[in-house]
Amino acid sequence: MAKIELKNVAHSYSPDVENPEYALKKCNLSWKDGGRYAVLGPSGCGKTTMLNIMSGLVTPSEGTIKFDGVDITNMSTAERNIAQVFQFPVIYNTMTVAQNLGFPLLCRNYPKEVITKKVDQVAQTLGLENLLNLRATKLTADQKQLISLGRGLVREDVAAILMDEPLTVIDPDLKFRLRRRLKEINELYKSTLIYVTHDQNEAMTFAENILVMDHGKIVQVGTPLELFERPKTTFVGYFIGSPAMNMLKAEIKGKNVVSIGDTSFKTGTDLSKVKSKNIKLGIRSEFVELHDKNADNCISVKIDKVDDFGNFQLVSARHGMSPIKAKVSRDLAVPAGDAWMKFPDNRCCVYSNEVLV
Amino acid sequence: MFVVAPFLWALSTSFKDFNSVTGGATYIPWVDFEPSLEGWRVLLRSPAQGGVNIVEPYFNSIAVTCSASFISIFLGTLAAYALSRFTFKAGFIKNSDITFFFISQRIMPPIVLSIPFFIMLGKLGLLDSMVGLVMVYVVLLMPIAVWIMVDFFNKVPREIDETALIDGCNPYQAFYKVVLPNSVPGLIVAGMFCMIFGWTDFFFAFILTFTEVQLLPVAIVALNSSITPWWSLSASALVSVAPLIVVAFIVERYLSKGNLSGALK
Repeated sequence: MAKIELKNVAHSYSPDVENPEYALKKCNLSWKDGGRYAVLGPSGCGKTTMLNIMSGLVTPSEGTIKFDGVDITNMSTAERNIAQVFQFPVIYNTMTVAQNLGFPLLCRNYPKEVITKKVDQVAQTLGLENLLNLRATKLTADQKQLISLGRGLVREDVAAILMDEPLTVIDPDLKFRLRRRLKEINELYKSTLIYVTHDQNEAMTFAENILVMDHGKIVQVGTPLELFERPKTTFVGYFIGSPAMNMLKAEIKGKNVVSIGDTSFKTGTDLSKVKSKNIKLGIRSEFVELHDKNADNCISVKIDKVDDFGNFQLVSARHGMSPIKAKVSRDLAVPAGDAWMKFPDNRCCVYSNEVLV
Repeated sequence: MFVVAPFLWALSTSFKDFNSVTGGATYIPWVDFEPSLEGWRVLLRSPAQGGVNIVEPYFNSIAVTCSASFISIFLGTLAAYALSRFTFKAGFIKNSDITFFFISQRIMPPIVLSIPFFIMLGKLGLLDSMVGLVMVYVVLLMPIAVWIMVDFFNKVPREIDETALIDGCNPYQAFYKVVLPNSVPGLIVAGMFCMIFGWTDFFFAFILTFTEVQLLPVAIVALNSSITPWWSLSASALVSVAPLIVVAFIVERYLSKGNLSGALK
């Protein structure tokens, strides 16, 4: 258990060349002790590099890492006392389940009785107690992944448990239960959990705080609600939420007014300082209201399609060439053809050069 | 057919006497010829009693092959692990070049190496000695071990090492506690190849030894004097093949268990 800080950390896999390409661009971060974090981003955005830097498998080309204020940048992985679970379960083939779980303690020279006790404890939490004497090769993929996880939990004093898309190989039903168990474990052991994923649902349901990354840069850190309501960049807006946030090209018309074509919208943001011409108006489809008459903050649309998802209807419409999607209650009778959509002013996000104003 | 027939022929020849060998082909014991145990008895008798000296070369062969194989596997495995896991760079020389350097030792025809080896061992005073032979065989066998093990380690996922590091091993512990036990099948295959090549080598054993240390292949060929004793020659050939057959069966048993897979997924 420790507070983890990254100071000016950056990493390039080929730092010697001119203009090296950075897998992780310079970042400053601190992870609260006992927090439950998710790192979210598309494949290849630097999530795994970040984890490996924290666990010590990769030494960053720039910057320092501190655990509880102590500089550990050049410390070996073993000394950092960290647990990491990989995307695919890694087990030691030649050992039994119990030996697998006890290996981290064995490496650290714990006495035998302590190892047996801890292994039993962890096996109980993970529901592996009946398999302890089996050869680890005999297990199914998700049992193997539980072992990988168990090896992280067997040491209670770990600085953090880092998980790199740990539930990819596990089927959906078990995934749900495991995620809940991870939450329980976090509450029980108060260990910092950092969870890398490219699945937004996984991140949203699991974490207290989410870190969104893109092209090696940390784009936004916030609670699931913040990410949903006020995405800091258009990328976050597109990446989080299903469907993606509606983005419409707009122009600034006043202190807090933008226009799309001839239609003007009041927004909750002060736009007086924005100079850029690249303006977008973003709104979540959940907040778009459907009307049959024109009113304030309304835009005329042509409805293309209505999909019934059971618990809601997804209305796909167009204003000119730009598509707009709205999630509406399933009881609402959606008019065919022309209609009006209202963007409530406090829900409108204005982006200048793809960044939230 | 092609595999078993020569063995059967040797087996039947080993029970024949002079007349049944030289008097044209004979096939079925008791019908075509009267079986005799002379060919086998000769192998166990000491030369003073009219036997041939095959027991001592046999043990020499075992000692030289085993120690050379062991040293090759030991050094070869370490080298292979390093080549598989770390990146080396010295100018234009990279990992693959180093691996090729090892294998290239086997590209040269042995005859090219024989004279340098002879001179080297002569200078070191190791001609006609076990130590000299073992040294030469290590040179010949280690490339095989490196080659097989590099390939094998490349297939052992890196995450295993990384997990071991995270679990608190230092790099050496990660190697011998986790990676090595996972590589036992590879070690066995490499060991088997080393054994086979070491055991069957005639060329260097012939050139680098004279009288003190005789290896089995040389001793067998030496049986051939003015009269070729086909019966004892056949018997000794069978005896020399026997250990390899045993090794092959053990290895086959082990490999078919399917211990090669399943660390990931």
